[in-house]
Amino acid sequence: MPKEVMRRSASDNAYLHKDFHGALSAGLEYVHRRYGAEAVRDFLRQFAASFYSPLRADLRKRGLAALKEYFEQIYRVEGGTMAIRCTPDELRIEVAACPAVTHMRAHGYAVARMFNETTKTVNETICESTPFAAELVGYDEQTGRSVQRFYRRSA
Amino acid sequence: MISCTEFIPAYSELFKFLEKQGGGAAVLDFWNYLSDNFLGNLKELVEQNGIRGCWMYWTHTLNEEAADFTMELDEEAGEFRIVMRHCPSKGRLLECKHIAPYHDYCGHCDVLYRRVLEPLGYECIADLSEVDQARCSLVVRRKRPASQAQPLGMTGVG
Repeated sequence: MPKEVMRRSASDNAYLHKDFHGALSAGLEYVHRRYGAEAVRDFLRQFAASFYSPLRADLRKRGLAALKEYFEQIYRVEGGTMAIRCTPDELRIEVAACPAVTHMRAHGYAVARMFNETTKTVNETICESTPFAAELVGYDEQTGRSVQRFYRRSA
Repeated sequence: MISCTEFIPAYSELFKFLEKQGGGAAVLDFWNYLSDNFLGNLKELVEQNGIRGCWMYWTHTLNEEAADFTMELDEEAGEFRIVMRHCPSKGRLLECKHIAPYHDYCGHCDVLYRRVLEPLGYECIADLSEVDQARCSLVVRRKRPASQAQPLGMTGVG
């Protein structure tokens, strides 16, 4: 049998490896089992505070339009269906089904018990030290359907 | 939801978080856990298809990750090889100027895959000497009795 060779350049494919959702879920479940629930939140706070620092800065500068554009882009790439309403004081996002949860359920990956914290804690952390706050109004564990709300804090 | 396009920085930050909890041993413990609990598809593919299972597994992952690579499969020799000219994961971490990658980020690849493949009768040889430039290579080869062992003939990466 002849040797088989595959050569690819980065430009040959789009960067979208949804199995990474399963790896993150496995990581959260590991931290939960090994270190407890608060450690999961601590990790997500640490990650969000560092990785989303440019988004947080943009939120301070441009207000909720910055978050609106960010989430529209993310859910477009992931193929999620969402409805979004944005005013200068409130951003409301209704996600029909979380693309991450949908992928994990479809491919047999375990969904971490605290997977919703990737929305709740991350959103709250992005809003820290800004004029805004985040609230996870609703979340369905089975599908990841959610209602996310960002709003201007009271003076 | 953290987008899968943002997973790699989350993964890297998780390694840092775990190292703060319990040092390098805590990170290694997680890598072992992930190998045992997340790479069942690689294990099944190699159990069912032999060394071709590696080709099948990485065809899926490396294309979805938009990697810049060459893969070779020589079933007669029982050898599979990846030359990664630009790893999209490490590349993204290096490009991300506001966070620093975990100092041994690339170490997870060697641990995760070796742990699956060695018990199935394969040896894994990873060259991580150029990971600071997002380049590496991996050779997976069917183990041979010591009397038949041959040099690996490793080539450089990049």
